[in-house]
Amino acid sequence: MKKKAQPDSFGVLNDIVERDHTWPIMTQRYGVENPLPPWKTSLDGLCDALDQSCSSSKPPLTFKERRDEEDQLSASLYTNLPYPENQLVALAHSLLKRGVIDEKELRERLTLIRKRLEA
Amino acid sequence: MSNSDHDHDHDHDHDHAHKPMVDEITDFEVLEIALRELCIEKGLFTAQEHRVFTEYAEQIGPTPAARLVAKAWLDPEFKKLALTDAIKACKEVGVDWLHPTGFGAPSDFMAFKILEDTPTLHHVIVCALCSCYPRPILGNSPEWYRTPNYRRRIVRWPRQVLSEFGLELPGGVEVRVEDSNQKHRFMVMPLRPAGTEGWTEDQLAEILTRDCLIGVALPKPGVTNNVTPLVREAVRPVTA
Repeated sequence: MKKKAQPDSFGVLNDIVERDHTWPIMTQRYGVENPLPPWKTSLDGLCDALDQSCSSSKPPLTFKERRDEEDQLSASLYTNLPYPENQLVALAHSLLKRGVIDEKELRERLTLIRKRLEA
Repeated sequence: MSNSDHDHDHDHDHDHAHKPMVDEITDFEVLEIALRELCIEKGLFTAQEHRVFTEYAEQIGPTPAARLVAKAWLDPEFKKLALTDAIKACKEVGVDWLHPTGFGAPSDFMAFKILEDTPTLHHVIVCALCSCYPRPILGNSPEWYRTPNYRRRIVRWPRQVLSEFGLELPGGVEVRVEDSNQKHRFMVMPLRPAGTEGWTEDQLAEILTRDCLIGVALPKPGVTNNVTPLVREAVRPVTA
């Protein structure tokens, strides 16, 4: 049964959290030893590129806001996610909250990318 | 090549050359790509900028920071420079703080200072606010450095936290916790340990692990990997 959506939460992210594809579960399933998922450094690159771009006069999300919200969301809404999944989902949450991206386009893009990767 | 030969080579590779991989596309992998693509399409950054920052995040091998301290241990003039103008000293080990990635610094900063340990003073760095770290010279921060656990407790109970890393300092040694912020980054220059007399710069750089330069460990001959925090077995483990 799906959990009732909490206020200020996003359905698209809740669905991902509920499907629970977290790295510890994946490594156990496939007998993998890597401590971090392969997308982690790409996420680092994404955060760095975003921080750099947001040093402009009207930043959509500053470095400090991003990190503060990551801490806050990791300890509340996404408390059941391990690191770095909580870092990634918190970033998505911050971008959705500010309207940098919208939920509908994110949902469509997720479907499109999965189709592309599974082709 | 016959089919059976091919099968043999194929199996051989899998048995002996490849570690297992996660053979599934996870939602998180898809989410990371989706966020990145949407940010690029909205003009927040380019794919090339992202690639350069990612490559930067993946840097491997001995850190330039280890090279810098080893050089300072061997050359008193260079040590003076490292302690008075750390940014200039970094350039001598190949790190330009203003353009470490070619696209500027990965986050905003104004100053970098190297903190010299003495026989009666030990430094350790933290970012109590978030996770500021001297990445251009020391690479990515360890996962524990970002945790509220480390950030909150090291400033209040430094000796207790250091002991959890296996570092017990004598009472006569003052512990100074330096708090980084968006404008100021720090790194520790530990004391050169006994038993390293006559060593080359390469040998010294090997024992200058990341944790020694954060200040949660001390360099020691023979120890060339970062220390894993001490974990004790539970006295009364929970059984199902």
